Amino acid sequence: MKYLMPLIISFITAILVAAGTFGPTRLGATTGITSGSALPGLSSAAKTPEQAVDKLLNEIQRRNWGVAYAQLVDAGNIDEALFTRDLTGNNGSLRTLSGLESWRLQPLHATNDEAQIRATLRWSTAVGPIRDVRDLKVLRQDDVWKVVWPVPTFPNLPAQIVPVNYLRWDLVTPNGEGEWGDRAVDAPHVRIVSMNAIPYQNGCVVMGEVVNEDTIPAFVNVNATLVDGTGKSIAEESSFDKISHILLPKQVSPYRVDFPNISLQEVKNVRMDAKATLAPTSSDPVIGVMNQKVETDSEGRNVLRGSLLNQSGQTVNIPHVIATFYDSNGRVVWVSDGYVDRPLLPQLPEPFAVEIPGPIVGKVQNYHVVVNYYNIAKS
Amino acid sequence: MRPHFALARISSWSALSKIFILSPVFIAFFWCGPRTVGADSMPANSLPQVQLDARNAGPRTLENLTQQNIGRHYANAWQNLAAAFEHNAPTSLSDYFVGAAREQLGQAVADQQKAGLHSRYRDQRHKVDVVFYAPEGDIVELHDSVECDFEVFEGEKSIHHEPAVLRYVVLMTPSADRWVIRQLQAVSQF
Amino acid sequence: MLVLLSAGLTGVCLAQGADLRPPAALTAGQPTVIATSGSGEASFYLLGPGHTFRKQVHLGQEIPLGIDQVRTAGRYLAILCSANGCRSALFYVTPASPASLSFLAHPSRVPVKQLDAISGVAFPYDKFHNLVLAPVTIDFQLKSSVGDSISRPTTTQNGVAWFRANSSNQAGTAQLVAAVGDLSVRRVVQQVASDPCNLRVKGQRTAKGILVETEPVRDCSGNPVPDGTVVTFTETDPAGKSTVDMPIKQGVARAQFLAAGPAIISVASGVVMGNQLQLGGQ
Repeated sequence: MKYLMPLIISFITAILVAAGTFGPTRLGATTGITSGSALPGLSSAAKTPEQAVDKLLNEIQRRNWGVAYAQLVDAGNIDEALFTRDLTGNNGSLRTLSGLESWRLQPLHATNDEAQIRATLRWSTAVGPIRDVRDLKVLRQDDVWKVVWPVPTFPNLPAQIVPVNYLRWDLVTPNGEGEWGDRAVDAPHVRIVSMNAIPYQNGCVVMGEVVNEDTIPAFVNVNATLVDGTGKSIAEESSFDKISHILLPKQVSPYRVDFPNISLQEVKNVRMDAKATLAPTSSDPVIGVMNQKVETDSEGRNVLRGSLLNQSGQTVNIPHVIATFYDSNGRVVWVSDGYVDRPLLPQLPEPFAVEIPGPIVGKVQNYHVVVNYYNIAKS
Repeated sequence: MRPHFALARISSWSALSKIFILSPVFIAFFWCGPRTVGADSMPANSLPQVQLDARNAGPRTLENLTQQNIGRHYANAWQNLAAAFEHNAPTSLSDYFVGAAREQLGQAVADQQKAGLHSRYRDQRHKVDVVFYAPEGDIVELHDSVECDFEVFEGEKSIHHEPAVLRYVVLMTPSADRWVIRQLQAVSQF
Repeated sequence: MLVLLSAGLTGVCLAQGADLRPPAALTAGQPTVIATSGSGEASFYLLGPGHTFRKQVHLGQEIPLGIDQVRTAGRYLAILCSANGCRSALFYVTPASPASLSFLAHPSRVPVKQLDAISGVAFPYDKFHNLVLAPVTIDFQLKSSVGDSISRPTTTQNGVAWFRANSSNQAGTAQLVAAVGDLSVRRVVQQVASDPCNLRVKGQRTAKGILVETEPVRDCSGNPVPDGTVVTFTETDPAGKSTVDMPIKQGVARAQFLAAGPAIISVASGVVMGNQLQLGGQ
């Protein structure tokens, strides 16, 4: 009897160790910290295409690049460094601050020796989750299914000199002396040029455009307060990152303020407030938005696609695309935003896509895209 | 056995008796003992009554929301001023007074404390007229007629007591999240 | 004994005749004396808006008040306390003559040709930083960089004077001055170009695509719009739409698009639209 408890405990421990070693997991790994199997080499072979992709993504989630690479078909076909770089990112891009959180697999087609699996990856990043859809080919070799990883292409950045002679604004703050009346420079003058409030899902959304009417750059934030019929404030929210905060003179940015769980029917009035402060900034880099088109992607979602062209000589680490959609009357009917998880290298285009919600796409007649960015060195 | 038992009994009796004797002492100490006179331990002055009339404001018209804010912040400022003078706490002035007003009032409070005095503004009723509101809305001038019960103490002894009618010319400017007093100047008449 | 008892019962007035006589009118920073009457020792307190002090005095002698004790304008309470009670007297100190000006000018930047766009508010202060409430004439002057000048003398009311002026037709730096006698305070107002007017773009095909350039961007008064102002170029062709927000450099904005086929180019800056350009294919 006295040995029963120790036996039971040992038995349960063995089961748990085995489950942890051999069982699949969806727990997220900590970015930057290598983790791996407790007993390397002890893992079961993939008997189905989904299992193969699952195993591969498990190792990617654990950041076991070497183990993941070994699971690819003909590992010599793709350089390990390229494979790793495709998944870890470079040049301070958003991917370098991300970890694979979860995924969903959808078989597209399968034969005895070949299959195609759509993997919808959910990356957890510094700015929120990012979806990444990859159609992966899986082949059967010696009764084991293995993934064919598409060879990533990293553009070759040629050496060049790019002169930078765009304007830059510095802010000089007073040194604490001097009398009252001498100390202040007026805040930049910005104006909200349009506002539209619509119901969306279970809440409502306030959106529009704001312009910097001044001759100096402004750091702008837009707040919206919903007011009921009695004049009482129901809720107040900020545009957060659904706005291009730094506005150069005469630059226009969309904004979107979300109020989840507040029905538009409760709202009698919307009070808008655009706050602008002085900001030291440069008019470099200039980022062009090329070849924009509204299309349907492989999953049937409506997206605005295009490519970003960094026309300056410095790398943009984390680009952020904000798109405004207008109806036939020129009214703002939606504002979408999305982060690109690859850097913008000088003079080289990088694709982007932002989603347009289904109920909205029928109303869209025109659109305009602005590009915000975050650079690691300046943050 | 007996001596040990007796010792134990005496010890427990001593402990118990100590508890019963000392408890009332502690209670008496915390209830009736010396108190630190300071802004934190004294009961807060209630918010003064402020009646703001902006009909004569100009050249810019005073917006409703601004009028409410000025009235509220002015009342808060006077509440802080009263606390500063009553408890000799110049730090109470830091929220609603800036520039010359804060320097002068701060000095007055410090001097008052050095002289062993404190003063009290009770039951304040402010009748405030807005006489100037700048074109850019960045400064407002008020004329305040305040009725209050004003008393000066040296320690606990009252050395002056009057139902006072005070008149002030006030300049207020907007800061980050409130209107603050930049000038508070008493006059014999407007 | 009866006299002493009754004196005690009726209070201070009868006790040894202690009394205070402050000055009738006093200017800030003007030394003065407070006369006292009676005999014996007493404690004297002076509670002023910026200063409080206490001292032991002999009744019947004058109590001197120095510059520092009456520098702040406002209400002063003098209290005299002897063994038989306390007496108090009030007096007011008024500001001295103006020695400085606080001058608020707005805005620091203003578009040209705007009505009543520039405003100034001035407060005269004496050397002890008391607001001078007596009427003072302040001369407001606005001098533009092209030599235009306006002068507007204004008398303060309740210690404040203000003025408004239009911005001039030409961009540049304007000086705003408030002066009282020998005192003057200067502020700078940048008069900047208004919104772009007649925004026009021209373009040509190059080996790399389309090069577009605006004509020199000016406002409706002919003032060049400052460098750094953003001009949005939009190019539409069968492949889609391309846009770039380009800052003006040396008066013009330029952009390059890679379109090979026919394209329509349009331009805008802020809420101002420019012309449209149609270019055929290569």
